[in-house]
Amino acid sequence: MAALTPAGGLISLLVGTVLLRLVLTGTYGRYVRPGMGPWLAVAGVAVLVVGLVTLLQALRHANPEDAHDHHRHGGGDRVGWLLLAPIAALLLVAPPTLGSYGVDRGARVDIRAGTGVLDPLVAGAEPIPMTLLEFGQRAFDRDGASFGAAAVRLTGFVAGAEAGGFRLARYQIACCAADAAPVVVRVVGGRRVPARDRWVTVTGVFREGGDELPELAATNVVEIPAPDDPYE
Amino acid sequence: MPGRMVVKGVNEATSVGAASDRRPVDLGVAVAAVVVAAAVLRPVLERLLDRPAVAHWATVFVAIAVQAMPFLVLGVTISAAVAALVPAGFLPRVLPRRPALAVPVAAAAGAALPGCECGSVPIAGRLVARGALPGAALAFLLSAPAINPVVLTATAVAFPGRPEVVVARLLASLLAATVVGLVWVRTGRDDLLARARRRRDDDGPPLAVLVATAQRDLLQAGGLLIVGAATAATLQTVVPRSVLDAVAGAGPLAFVAMAGLAVVLAICSEADAFVAASLTQFSLSAKLAFMVVGPMVDVKLVALQAGTFGRGFALRFAPLTLAVAMASSAVIGWWLL
Repeated sequence: MAALTPAGGLISLLVGTVLLRLVLTGTYGRYVRPGMGPWLAVAGVAVLVVGLVTLLQALRHANPEDAHDHHRHGGGDRVGWLLLAPIAALLLVAPPTLGSYGVDRGARVDIRAGTGVLDPLVAGAEPIPMTLLEFGQRAFDRDGASFGAAAVRLTGFVAGAEAGGFRLARYQIACCAADAAPVVVRVVGGRRVPARDRWVTVTGVFREGGDELPELAATNVVEIPAPDDPYE
Repeated sequence: MPGRMVVKGVNEATSVGAASDRRPVDLGVAVAAVVVAAAVLRPVLERLLDRPAVAHWATVFVAIAVQAMPFLVLGVTISAAVAALVPAGFLPRVLPRRPALAVPVAAAAGAALPGCECGSVPIAGRLVARGALPGAALAFLLSAPAINPVVLTATAVAFPGRPEVVVARLLASLLAATVVGLVWVRTGRDDLLARARRRRDDDGPPLAVLVATAQRDLLQAGGLLIVGAATAATLQTVVPRSVLDAVAGAGPLAFVAMAGLAVVLAICSEADAFVAASLTQFSLSAKLAFMVVGPMVDVKLVALQAGTFGRGFALRFAPLTLAVAMASSAVIGWWLL
């Protein structure tokens, strides 16, 4: 296959379509940051148009005379077929958001970076929703003094059982899932441990004395469907 | 028939031996094959994704490909625009001819291209094809993904309160790109760039040339990107963290390990600062090596360069760049960090 054949045009057409589909269905949130959406859409439209024009041109001008002077192009063009691999994966199954498999494999987020002295939380009637990163940073800052008695609500996935509870994790990503780094919190006191990789919302209060992981004493653990924006 | 000339020019790259009268049949066969393959593959893929390691691999693989696409499209569009709009012979006329000036200027010009490394390869290839001094085009290729404002801002965010890291990254990357460019001019192995130089541009109205060039570059660079994404995803899935922890404490070894990690992880230059910052076991100098080497040499870039400039080129250029980038980060890291 060379790029300017109907098959080449068709591949570009597919790439563009899949990019647009990712944006329209919101599935792209599993792979890249939400802010990438518009850029993916622009890229998708551009690739789609280029593919469509190529396909139409190639079909319209399919002409025996063109076949003669093409011997200088070797197999280098064939590499374009490989684009079908991620397209097939996305159209057929759409790989899931990163799960607990990677939690112990990559480097963790450094919760000590970028923290100053944090403002104290004001306890209200409702638990305060926060990211796992903020929870970790507050836990590190003066041994959690900024929590006061405030209840907080964390959302993440279960990354394995531990004595007396489980580990709750969520990835931070800067660009895409390839650079994901997890933040991990130990949840203790939940009545039962949800299945690994299940998404949960945990309500509770900070508990002092977690060794390397910040600890949350849970009062309530609710299983939820995987969110649209699975990364922090 | 005036229209025929255009068509011939634009169509000149159709495949070897694909007799045109068979093309519609080829297309039909391709479509049928895709449909059948989809029906067969789906249950197989679904079962595979039940395994956590496979799911992790697939997500990282798709993520790298998806993340790179907008940048690749930007690079391919600029490259195609140069092909379509800049007249042949223009670049050599306007660019500085003395290497001692041209190379550093080209390296500094990299700051003007916001994006990551996937976009700069087709642009550099186009510059070489259009007669720019190869050493200068290569310096641009190396510096653009590392020193543009987007990447430097990301670096500042990833290392809060440590502006010296941003300065060190800028200086070390500029230094490495300039040195590699000058070494290339000195050794004069421009014969290795024959593949990029031979590339004849299409004739015809600018818009037709733009689309044809974009289409060809997109499929080639995109396909090679897939090779790199698969390699990086595989390494990310199989290399355990304990290996990292083991080498992190060991001074010079940690430095080399971080450079090696940058090569195999193939993280986008806009994100690598965050990854470097999260590798808390390592020293700042080792993190600098990670951020200087990553945008210049990694598995997906080498695949892209091999496809654009030729394998012989990539085999010499990648080790040269790796060595210079490591030396440059060692010097700047020792001085600033």
